[in-house]
Amino acid sequence: MAEIALSRPLAAATVRPRRPAPGPAWAHRLFVAPSVLALLVLGLYPLLFIVAAAFTESSLGKPFQAFAGLETFESVLADADITASLWRSVAYALGVSAASLVLGVAAALALQGAVRSGSIVRTLLLLPLITPPVIVGTLWKLVYNPGGGLLATVLGAAGVPRETIAPLSSTAWALPGVALADVWEWTPLIALLVFTALLSQDAAVLEAARLDGAHGWRLFRSITLPAIGGVVAAAFFIRLVLAFKVFDLVFMMTSGGPGQATTTTSYVIYQAALREFDVGKAAVVTLLLAVVVTVVTVPVVAVTRKLQSNHG
Amino acid sequence: MTASTHPRRRRALTAAGAVAVSALALVACAGGSAEAGAGGESLTVLLITSHQGAAEQLAADYEELTGVEIDTVIVPYDEIGNTLALDQQSGANTIDVAAPWYVSIGDLAASGAIQDLTEWIEETPDLDVDDFIPSIYDAYTLYDGKRWGLPFDGDTHVLFSNTEILERNGITAPPATWDEYLEQSALITANEGANGVYGNVVFGQKSPLILGASFANRLAGFGGSFVDEDGKPVIDSPEAIAAAQSLADALGSAYPTPAETAFGEGNSAWYAGNAAFIENWTDLGVGSQLNPDSAVKDEWAVSLLPVGGDNTQPRASLVAGFTWVVAANTDKTDLARDFIAWAASSEVNERLLVADPQTGIDPNRISSLESAAYGETYPELQRVNRATLDGALAWPTGKNATQAAEILTDELAKLVAGEVTAAEALSAVQAEWERLLG
Repeated sequence: MAEIALSRPLAAATVRPRRPAPGPAWAHRLFVAPSVLALLVLGLYPLLFIVAAAFTESSLGKPFQAFAGLETFESVLADADITASLWRSVAYALGVSAASLVLGVAAALALQGAVRSGSIVRTLLLLPLITPPVIVGTLWKLVYNPGGGLLATVLGAAGVPRETIAPLSSTAWALPGVALADVWEWTPLIALLVFTALLSQDAAVLEAARLDGAHGWRLFRSITLPAIGGVVAAAFFIRLVLAFKVFDLVFMMTSGGPGQATTTTSYVIYQAALREFDVGKAAVVTLLLAVVVTVVTVPVVAVTRKLQSNHG
Repeated sequence: MTASTHPRRRRALTAAGAVAVSALALVACAGGSAEAGAGGESLTVLLITSHQGAAEQLAADYEELTGVEIDTVIVPYDEIGNTLALDQQSGANTIDVAAPWYVSIGDLAASGAIQDLTEWIEETPDLDVDDFIPSIYDAYTLYDGKRWGLPFDGDTHVLFSNTEILERNGITAPPATWDEYLEQSALITANEGANGVYGNVVFGQKSPLILGASFANRLAGFGGSFVDEDGKPVIDSPEAIAAAQSLADALGSAYPTPAETAFGEGNSAWYAGNAAFIENWTDLGVGSQLNPDSAVKDEWAVSLLPVGGDNTQPRASLVAGFTWVVAANTDKTDLARDFIAWAASSEVNERLLVADPQTGIDPNRISSLESAAYGETYPELQRVNRATLDGALAWPTGKNATQAAEILTDELAKLVAGEVTAAEALSAVQAEWERLLG
């Protein structure tokens, strides 16, 4: 009896469940076709177009006029304004992403602590996210307006000469001014992602840690952060990519100025393609930006995977 | 088994059919110009925001005259060229007629976005092309030896002065030279800056039509040019450097803040009576009289742009300026030609010049410039607009001219930001222009 009792589970373990009979091959292809088509249209075609434009003389009205080889690459890499825009974009993306991350995590922790009023606060947090970037840019441009904007009014009341308060006209302050608007717009995304991760924490583990005397920063660093680290890193990655793509705020607030102070690479691409009609140049800059984004984000992706696997 | 799958297949086929029909309907909606209902004809016309008033009047008048419905598409002034080019290149072909910045005509022609109108213009004496203001006709329409459009909006800058502010500061006459302009501006800003009144407005936002215009006004005054008679760049000439330096010198007394000042900010400051001098199109005078927000009605004067350096002859600067063109892929070429012939006519231009509310249109023809209606309503504007009749300064207009304008603007923006000197900025532009324009 004992042998029989043992052999049944073993037998059950070794017998594979029967797969459903495979359907005809054309049916599989048919069902997969929309995904493949979507990938081709949305991913591969634009990539091929950009690569082809980068190696040809291409204008807005007439792409691929003649093979240009590496000529456009050479002229773009020799352009100090464009290489400076790449460095500026890297610094900008890292800066606003780090600021958004710190503020977003802090906001999420505050939300968790005020869970009763959380629904109202969460709704308010969504407001910057759902505001169109064009409106965000206009709003912050008004905030920075030296002639009666919020900043000039507040600092003016504090005794600072109003005529000196014009951050968007300052080569030193224009980029931080745009960055502040960017952080305001996208920090709620980080906060909501992290807040969701905080809600999924095991309450028993937290309670046990508290019983062992862990509170405040110690509890966050040793228990909470390891638990939500993967989500935090993933949120940082998303924020980083969003920051690299910033265009609308620059377009609305500064047009890339003063001088070149806020000319990010996305703005250079817009300017080359749509204002100079030089699609070849825009394509080359796009490829360079893709390389830079890849180089910057690959370590972030690696850290995200490591944190997620540790937690899993 | 087979029987049970048939309904699913039918549903799948029905769904696929619905998707296909929807897709076809979307494609049909996306392509082609809107047709007027009940067998009527229609044209889709692309214009800039500054021309919205003119667009509304033109649409109403033309429909009343011919029954042809005019659907206007309004875009920002620095987006009209790429909107037209993309519309034609993508195959959408929704635009039949457009009025882009004249500097982009060469690029639009080279990219196949607009039609060559040479034969039609030559074979249509009713167009009376000899009546177009000579200095703008070629600049606005000629590229590679062919005609690509008809002038629509003349657009030359002049200098407006707030007479009340000048009087308060003991200034009896507007500046005749750019040096006088700097002195008077500095005096007014020193006296009244604390009260929010400034000597001058400098349009310094980084855009060819804004910052580029401010430089072009001074370039004309100092006797410089963008290119020589052979089309070779001469943008680093001593006259050009002096003009750029004069622009930089004007920033200190300007309405805050020049790097952020576009037409909206600058014109608002003018209408509010907060600026003594502003360079602008002649239609600002119309707005000063008719704009409900204007606090400067009957308190302004207009004069030709100042001169500088060794130059003593005032010269108009063709800053903006817009040209009627016919989209390359329109299937309504005849209708489009009829419309632009009418819209560029002397009668229509004259009507737009004196319209109330203002239309933002300046003279394109000698006859409308010299018309009794214009002279009686705005005699001072008529006087200064005559400066366009002879030797006005035009931007380069050939292939790559749009890119050339952007390059110049980028370097001027650095000058305004204090990152480079006038000579450094224009030296960099010269090098780039030699590569682009030859």
